[in-house]
Amino acid sequence: MLSNKILNWIATLPLLSRGAESELRLGELYNTRIVFKFRRPKNYMDPSLDRLLRRKRTFKEAKIIVEARKYGVRSPAVLLFMPELFLIGLEYIDGITLKEYLEREGDKAVPLAAEAGRMIGILHKHCISHGDPTTSNLILSSRNGHLYLIDYGLADYTCSIEDLAVDLHLFRRAVRSTHPQYEDTLYSHFLQGYRSVLGARSKDIEDRAQLIELRGRYVEERRTVWQRHEDYGSH
Amino acid sequence: MANVATRNSYQNNNIILGIESTAHTLGVAIVSDNPPYILADVRYKYVPQKGGILPREVAQFFSLNAGRAVSEALEQAGLDPRELDAIAVALGPGLGPALRVGATIGRALATHLRIPLIGVNHAIAHLEIARALTGLLDPVFLYVSGGNTTVTSHVGGYYRVFGETLDIALGNALDTFARESGIAPPYVKGGRHAIDYCAENGAFIEELPYTVKGQDVSFSGLLTASLRALKKGYKIEDVCYTFREIAYSSVVEVTERGLAHIGKKQVLTTGGVAASDLLNWKLEKMSEAHNAKFKRIPKRYAGDNGVMIALTGLLSLKYGVGIVEPRRAYIRQRWRLDRVPVPWFPDTIPLWRYTVNA
Repeated sequence: MLSNKILNWIATLPLLSRGAESELRLGELYNTRIVFKFRRPKNYMDPSLDRLLRRKRTFKEAKIIVEARKYGVRSPAVLLFMPELFLIGLEYIDGITLKEYLEREGDKAVPLAAEAGRMIGILHKHCISHGDPTTSNLILSSRNGHLYLIDYGLADYTCSIEDLAVDLHLFRRAVRSTHPQYEDTLYSHFLQGYRSVLGARSKDIEDRAQLIELRGRYVEERRTVWQRHEDYGSH
Repeated sequence: MANVATRNSYQNNNIILGIESTAHTLGVAIVSDNPPYILADVRYKYVPQKGGILPREVAQFFSLNAGRAVSEALEQAGLDPRELDAIAVALGPGLGPALRVGATIGRALATHLRIPLIGVNHAIAHLEIARALTGLLDPVFLYVSGGNTTVTSHVGGYYRVFGETLDIALGNALDTFARESGIAPPYVKGGRHAIDYCAENGAFIEELPYTVKGQDVSFSGLLTASLRALKKGYKIEDVCYTFREIAYSSVVEVTERGLAHIGKKQVLTTGGVAASDLLNWKLEKMSEAHNAKFKRIPKRYAGDNGVMIALTGLLSLKYGVGIVEPRRAYIRQRWRLDRVPVPWFPDTIPLWRYTVNA
């Protein structure tokens, strides 16, 4: 079968990364470098459910990327879309992640967070949450010096303040655990960019992000919050 | 109180009586830190004739059986109460009226015998007994029961929550569906849930929603849609099959995401729903795909029991945490597991060497 041939060929390409659900491999088509994102089957699910979910997620991810680009969020173009294979081909952005850039350049890299905030702001303005806005999912292109937002695997259509606030919270949490020394400056630049898009609407979402942190559903950093609680510890 | 153990004064020879009374099971057990470790394990389980669990009725059932449970445990262990070194009691989370019964027995025993009283978090106890029974000491846990659905793992002194339900717990969703669709009570027959029997000849239908948001799951939409599908005339075995398939797959998927994120190489499941064969099969498959080790815990210790409370009490005593003055041993109905310091980690009591598939 042709579809098996394609997947077998992709499996021979160099692996860029492997997540909980998909693998990214780097290949070339018509002299253009292309990143193949393949959603692996989950053999612990009923095959109908597994195919249904992978199909839905493949569709949603491609659709959201196309929309994001339409609204002006720099993201890799969708070059190949084969939902029946649960496969997307994405433009390869040559460059380094914001995470690496921060580690290398320090303070100089911080103002880039405003651009990240602006991109998340545009998504939110159009009722899209990114779901995983970390400094590893922002790439600084070596070709044009612009920042690109990648990995829409957890993105969703939503306009609920809670869901949008989770994006802000996730960015802050990611910064705190990876670049604690820049937490405040990075986040304030991020918010600057974010507010420049959302204007007055930003306040509610920022406040909710604060609340989510205090509520502490998302954990790693909760310790600072705990210490304010009188029922800290076990008596 | 004079007799408060600290880590320095700890002698490796303690016998602890543990009391569990957070929900439907009154458990009294005695555990020692020397083989064979489990000296007594008494359980009185409240089974409603119809409907669900009413907190007041459970509390009454517990009160009626409490005295008997304690003396039976001592008898099983062949011990005089004066040979006990401490009392451990689950102070939360759970149903208020039910918790109060256990707390009252605990305070009374500790005061009368003049030994330390240890407040144990019920959720932590489920995690600890899973580690102790399997020997997988640093896993990613899926804790699933009537009141909990949590992906957790130990990082920096605490069990951290990496994913959880946004609304109702998995066990609650299964029981509510079973009750509303008329296939329960009884909820459990011969060690299997009513939905397992109902799902036997079912097939997958595309009618029901699957909700995983990032690291979290949600079941209320699935529950509503399933009951609606029944009214629309879908076959009950198909709805049962699909409900169960979606519910279990979604918790395994959030465990998978937790595993990929944290990067550990062991997986355990614990809590009442961890007795499910299907859930264990799915977790095993998922773990294989990530080169992680998975072991199932014996069914007998998946659900609530006194042994896990005594065991966790023993570890707390050894590391000098959790000791409370009886008059201050308040119950805590919403006591979160990520608020409890766990200094003994990865230490444990090696039950896996002696408890062969009990």
